[in-house]
Amino acid sequence: MKKTKIIFSQTLMITTAILFGLGIQAMIKYVSGGVTQIVWQWYIPLSLILTGLLCSLPTLLLLNQTAHGGWRDALRLVAHFFCICAVVSLCGYLFKWYTDWRGYVPIVAMVAVIYLFVWVATLWITNSDAKKINEAIKEIQDTE
Amino acid sequence: MKVNFTIVRPADGEHADIYAAELTEQIRDAIDLLENGRGNLPCTKNTQVILLKTDEIYYMESVDKRTYVYTKDECFETKYRLYELEDMTGAHFFRCAKAMIVNLRKIRSVKAQFNGRMSAELLNGEQIVIARSYVKDLKRKLGL
Repeated sequence: MKKTKIIFSQTLMITTAILFGLGIQAMIKYVSGGVTQIVWQWYIPLSLILTGLLCSLPTLLLLNQTAHGGWRDALRLVAHFFCICAVVSLCGYLFKWYTDWRGYVPIVAMVAVIYLFVWVATLWITNSDAKKINEAIKEIQDTE
Repeated sequence: MKVNFTIVRPADGEHADIYAAELTEQIRDAIDLLENGRGNLPCTKNTQVILLKTDEIYYMESVDKRTYVYTKDECFETKYRLYELEDMTGAHFFRCAKAMIVNLRKIRSVKAQFNGRMSAELLNGEQIVIARSYVKDLKRKLGL
């Protein structure tokens, strides 16, 4: 049940992130070239959800493990990023999100930016929680 | 000593105020009982039964259907399951993972870790992990 919950929440989160990225791309196209419409094939919305689902699997395998600290976690994070890139590249190829390198590079750049943003935000929130917890713990801490 | 008892609504917060000329051993025991629950926990070590004071406990862990109780530098076994210990021990004990309960008063500091988890350093230098799903409960328990 716990794993299903992780897959579900990750799928939702990644799909939202992809939509956010596509929204930004559309906005850039509008601002720079005045493009006011996006035309999608019928399967594109479903392909985004499928990509979100497939991207959640590396998270389950690589990140839902006991942390050891140091280089092993860093290596796991790098492996996770490359898995996500591989899934997005494969889905992008199968669902024809890109046809050449000029279409592929912005997609990878979008994945990298979103990935970095999510990790920086997560780290910032967890660090701020840890700071608050430490202050509260000091008040009840025993003396040894 | 004269004792007053007043019933309050749970939302008002249960608390005890003690007015005394000095902090005697008896009052210390009463405070310990109110703060840490039962006060003593029957444990075994090398077939010997020991009544362990709950304020000496650092953490309790369930491994292979056995429950172990750790103090500053000793390990004991108890017949109770973790869910029973949760009820028996006091307000300063907190379920920090599926198989572990920690005494919050024995935590020196917490540190943000990989993937939303936190690691806690105990007063005896030991490190334990606070699972991501329990961080919210910890913040609630500390009133954050």
